Amino acid sequence: MPPTDVDAASQPAMLACENIKMSFGGIPVLKGVDLSLEPGTVTALAGENGAGKSTLMKIASGQYRPDAGTVYVRDRQLPMGNLKASNRLGIAIVPQELASIPELTVYENLYIGRETRTPLGTLNRRAMIGEATVKLREFGVDIDPAVQMGSLPVGMRQIIEIVKATSRGARVLLLDEPTSAIAEREVAHLYDVVRNLRDQGVAVLFTTHKMEEMRAMADRVVVLRDGQLITDSALADITDDDIVTAMIGRELENLFPEIPRHKDDVVLEATDLVIAPEAEPISFRVRRGEILGLAGLVGAGRTELIECIYGIRTPVSGTITVSGNVLKPGQPQASIERHIAIVPEDRKGAGAIMPLSVIDNATLPRLDIFSKFGVITRRKRQAAIGEAMRSMRLKSDGLGQAIENLSGGNQQKVVLGRWLTATVDALLLDEPTRGVDVGARSEIYRIITELAEEGMAVVMASSDMPEILSLTHRALVMREFSVAGELNREQLTSPDAQDTIFRLASGLETSHPTHTEELAP
Amino acid sequence: MTTTTADVVSAQKTRTWKSIVGNFLIRNIMVVVMLLIVAFFAYRSARFATPDNLVTILVAAAPFALIALGQTLVILTGGIDLSVGSVIAASAMAAAWSAKNLGDNPLYPLLAALLAGLAAGAINGFVVSRLNVPPFIATLGMLTLASGVAYVIGNGAPINGLPASYGVWANTEFLGFTVPVILMIVAIIVFAFVMRRTSYGLRVYAIGGNRLAAEIAGVRSKRLLFSVYAISGILAGLSGLMLSSRVSTGAPNLGQGYELDAIAAVVIGGASLMGGRGSVWGTALGLLLIQTINNGLDLLLVPAYWQDVIKGVIIVAAVAADVWASKRRT
Repeated sequence: MPPTDVDAASQPAMLACENIKMSFGGIPVLKGVDLSLEPGTVTALAGENGAGKSTLMKIASGQYRPDAGTVYVRDRQLPMGNLKASNRLGIAIVPQELASIPELTVYENLYIGRETRTPLGTLNRRAMIGEATVKLREFGVDIDPAVQMGSLPVGMRQIIEIVKATSRGARVLLLDEPTSAIAEREVAHLYDVVRNLRDQGVAVLFTTHKMEEMRAMADRVVVLRDGQLITDSALADITDDDIVTAMIGRELENLFPEIPRHKDDVVLEATDLVIAPEAEPISFRVRRGEILGLAGLVGAGRTELIECIYGIRTPVSGTITVSGNVLKPGQPQASIERHIAIVPEDRKGAGAIMPLSVIDNATLPRLDIFSKFGVITRRKRQAAIGEAMRSMRLKSDGLGQAIENLSGGNQQKVVLGRWLTATVDALLLDEPTRGVDVGARSEIYRIITELAEEGMAVVMASSDMPEILSLTHRALVMREFSVAGELNREQLTSPDAQDTIFRLASGLETSHPTHTEELAP
Repeated sequence: MTTTTADVVSAQKTRTWKSIVGNFLIRNIMVVVMLLIVAFFAYRSARFATPDNLVTILVAAAPFALIALGQTLVILTGGIDLSVGSVIAASAMAAAWSAKNLGDNPLYPLLAALLAGLAAGAINGFVVSRLNVPPFIATLGMLTLASGVAYVIGNGAPINGLPASYGVWANTEFLGFTVPVILMIVAIIVFAFVMRRTSYGLRVYAIGGNRLAAEIAGVRSKRLLFSVYAISGILAGLSGLMLSSRVSTGAPNLGQGYELDAIAAVVIGGASLMGGRGSVWGTALGLLLIQTINNGLDLLLVPAYWQDVIKGVIIVAAVAADVWASKRRT
């Protein structure tokens, strides 16, 4: 489906892709995509994981050679699969996985591969530092270029990558998932950098599946689904719902299921828990069937709180009890015996064990019930794990498949589902839908509410505001490793809930105003 | 295999006979390489493909098999044990010393070798798991240390004149096989079972695949790490006993460089030095491959120095073929 032409352009487009087709291993990923970018515009390339966004970017930047189609940069045909040539024509790409070298300094990263030299051929460090300082200033980055890259926050590194990519006079900038790894407060700076480049006449294309990001940065959105361009519209002319519908290809009438009523008996209780030196003590109770949200900015201590509850981290002081039993700090295996389950934030680093199969991953936390005298009882685990994965609606080629070959959403289902082969009283979720596409996301929400309904006490840390607002009975807002405020269900459904949470999280407000009286039924 | 696809029917890949055969060959590329090498030697040497020669290969393989199995466990955790060659020497010297000084009982050298191996392995395990020293460094230190201990025990000289009972460990035969060969076969079967069917085996794979994730899933990684180095040490001790028992001498330079053949066997067997990938069967195959090459080149009267050159090329080529094939696996 060709896009509607924005204008009968008097000037050639900055970048024009025509009828791009590409397949991997016989599976078509792009089925004839046309896309053109005008100078001084920011275009969001939206789509679910696997829609072909990254592939299209890699073709446009010369990393991949497509099976068919051509790319023009200002009417000049791009030699395909030639990264250097496209670089010369002014195309710059900042990949999703940061390519910076953390051990080197900022200026070394900026100049690597095209170092400034002295007449003797040695590195002219002073010249590079001087130029780097000027360039960084242009982007509103006021740091010493001689600091180590690895000492900077991820968001800053991202911006330095953009500076590096555009410093050779790029006319087209391609950003692959620019905010996937960076903290919220750094995102604003990234937006500024992108707008700055747009005003200089650069054509920017970025991939995303986040609505707020499109609204904040883009003037135009194109949606890619199953290798085809589905929608091409000015952002002002399209609603969020239309974009989501275009991305997933069906109506998503209810992303969030109705959350069930909780019971009265307390399952999980934290008493005067101090999770970092000089932080305020934290106390809360979670009842059977209740979903407690943990909101806050990145670095506010949500992950640390969850890790203290689970026993990966030892708190400064305070106790955790589950069903009346005090947990030993720093001992995950003791927590597992007390029926606590965790889905960690970093799925690849702390959740899934990539070389292992689905069934081995799912066996691990329950090894004791699946083995007799140390020997694994195969039939029992096959049955129990098969059942658990069916309830998660896992899509795989069988339980023997390596988990690394599954999509992010399905990996997450294994990391969550592996606990369901035995009783779980308290379920700890840390960013349960990070890196999970919209379709699988609604399934994970359904699963979480079902588990709560079955009687689990759920604690869910999330940076995704709609998740906190729509999926929790109660939310604690964290700041500086302490609880800055608490919102109940009525407050969470009030129109200014998001604003209240933000104010609490950023410290603009210390106690929260309540609208409970007016809004209570 | 049960399919867990509930609501979406995954596209069944169409498969032809040709692709099935191709896939099988690619999947088992090491077996293919092995068969090619066997065919070559069998064609060039009449003595190669005889039962006697098979026994010769197995006898030569046995001491390597034990340390290669220990090495497999260590490498699966993402570590490496460089000390096994020296531990062989130290254990052999301890065994010979005990046979000479404690009396004429074959149990003394067995206990001495096992204890010496366990001590070295336990120190490695402690340093790696509790002091968090990288395994390469910890075991490199042990390599030097154990070699020193071996010379200290013999005052810088081999221990000769051992009682006849010292030879029973290597030279007693059951059903036509000597003790080391039987020990090798039993050990391979036991370790294959442990690694594939027991919770211990799964935990070893898990900490090698992702230590943090394994800990979160309740694996006590420090104990486990300690145990794999201890096992590697014990097996090196046994190997030292077998080697020195065969010649009824304790030599302080015994086993020198064996760790490299053991590591080569594990890597040829498809293990990743990053941990989490590999298998006992793979190691057994890699071991047989190396020993078959040694034996075949001997039979073809290839000079010893050229043997090393050829062996080096084959090891790298075999792993390169495996890497090539693993990219084409479906």
